Amino acid sequence: MAVQGIWSGTISFSLVAIPVRLVTAVKPGHVSFHLLHNKDYSRLSRRMFCPEEEIMVTPDEIIRGYEIVPDKYVLMTDEELESVSPERSRTIEILEFIDMKEVDPLYFDHPYYLVPSKGGEKAYQLLVEVMRRTNKAGLAKFVLAEREYLVAVTSKEGALELITLHYSDEILPDEDISPKKETIEAEEENRMKKSIEQMIEDFDPGKYADGRRKKLMDLLATKVKEKTLVEAPPIGEEEGEGPADLVAALEESMRKVKEGR
Amino acid sequence: MSRTFVDMAGGRLSLSNLEKDLYPSYGFTKANILEYYRRIALFILPHLKDRALTLKRYPEGVGKDFFFEKRCPSHRPAWVKTAEIPQDDGERMTVCLVNDLETLIWAENLASVELHVPLARAGSPGTPDAMVFDLDPGEPASILDCGRVALILRDLLSRMGLVSYVKTSGQKGLHVFVPLNRKDTTFEDTKTFSKAVAEIMQKHYPGVVTAKMAKQERKAKVFINWSQNDASKTMICVYSLRARERPLVSFPLEWGELEKLAGLGDPEKFQITHSEGIRRTEEKGDLFRDVLVKEQKLSHL
Repeated sequence: MAVQGIWSGTISFSLVAIPVRLVTAVKPGHVSFHLLHNKDYSRLSRRMFCPEEEIMVTPDEIIRGYEIVPDKYVLMTDEELESVSPERSRTIEILEFIDMKEVDPLYFDHPYYLVPSKGGEKAYQLLVEVMRRTNKAGLAKFVLAEREYLVAVTSKEGALELITLHYSDEILPDEDISPKKETIEAEEENRMKKSIEQMIEDFDPGKYADGRRKKLMDLLATKVKEKTLVEAPPIGEEEGEGPADLVAALEESMRKVKEGR
Repeated sequence: MSRTFVDMAGGRLSLSNLEKDLYPSYGFTKANILEYYRRIALFILPHLKDRALTLKRYPEGVGKDFFFEKRCPSHRPAWVKTAEIPQDDGERMTVCLVNDLETLIWAENLASVELHVPLARAGSPGTPDAMVFDLDPGEPASILDCGRVALILRDLLSRMGLVSYVKTSGQKGLHVFVPLNRKDTTFEDTKTFSKAVAEIMQKHYPGVVTAKMAKQERKAKVFINWSQNDASKTMICVYSLRARERPLVSFPLEWGELEKLAGLGDPEKFQITHSEGIRRTEEKGDLFRDVLVKEQKLSHL
């Protein structure tokens, strides 16, 4: 089966429009666990709790509030949120072509691949090739799941990559981070330069792996083999008499049913 | 991939891979599936209307990988009606509503062979329109045993003042529906009631019926699954195709017919194929229509 895209549409600029699908390019190595009750291994579920009334709140009693000052909120309805959502769109519209070297990696958010859809293969190849030769990236706007993203489309090894970028106002200022200017001795500078030069290598990410993840997966595989599994009970199993009135009525009806058969 | 364009009232639809055989051991293409749903549309649409659809998609055919889609795909055409439904964590999810023929055909073009819907409408997710008993046979019990249990269940419900309706699941079991159609009935009500009914049935017919979900309890018995009476659960929609070897459908049966079938003793005779389904609806109309309109109240709660 072909890779399932998370979005499909066209990538376009001036008169070019190429049908593409967006597929995710990374699968984070995070190992996730379910939370279970230690007594019966039931999967625990999250409920919303009202600390004031000390009760669980059902979804129809939940609304949104934006905190203006502590404990003071502006309420926001679904309709109001909807009214500011961008129109759903089927295009990745390239606004300008930029040099990727100018983009500080701080701006990089999440990477995807763009895959040509049926009929778009030739135009896709052409764009990949021309972008590779000119060494430019397309800067585009694009709506995914109710949000408008700024994205960079780049050409890498015969395919198009798309990376969502942070907006500039999301980047925090670094002014408090760099210390005041101090005088630097030439000798100190040279020494550090040499140490760095001695450690220069080609970037080979395959050399590194998440050690904890590897050990964790091995441990899980061992435990599965040893069959140290616990089983969650089927839900709602507690044998319980229903409301006494109902049970009595059912018993009476059942007696008549049996008489009639 | 081959494409065919059809113009419909709602807009132009591009249908893909119509020649693909999605029931390879029987021979039933995507075009056949679309044709089935087009012809059954008049009957199935009222049962899908305003309910959050769960797509169960079989892009490579019924024996192969499938996936569930509860969220309405973001690549949907603009005219597909949707609803926002609250989830347990308080977040909203956008779901598809199949309220017209265009949307039905669009969903089928995604190879959503099976259409699953909740017992409540999207606008009132806490109010089930019906209470359901999902009768599921544990091997070597069969649909025949389900039929016998369904008849007892019908009588019991009738003594409780409730009219019920039955349909095949299109697989191995039967579904007994009790229409409610009242604003004041909650899932808590239907769950309490159906659980008590299932437990009474188990108590009086312990060799045949179980109300317990645990697999080992279900062997050779009919499991009365009352836990389907929950806002988070979905049921196969009446008239939906099932993704089995053959294109069987979940189809309503008259109680009189079920009595006959139970007497005949052949589990195969319970099953309704796509063509038989079309023939019967043309002859008898929607035997499940009352499930959508009949008002009944659960007493003794």
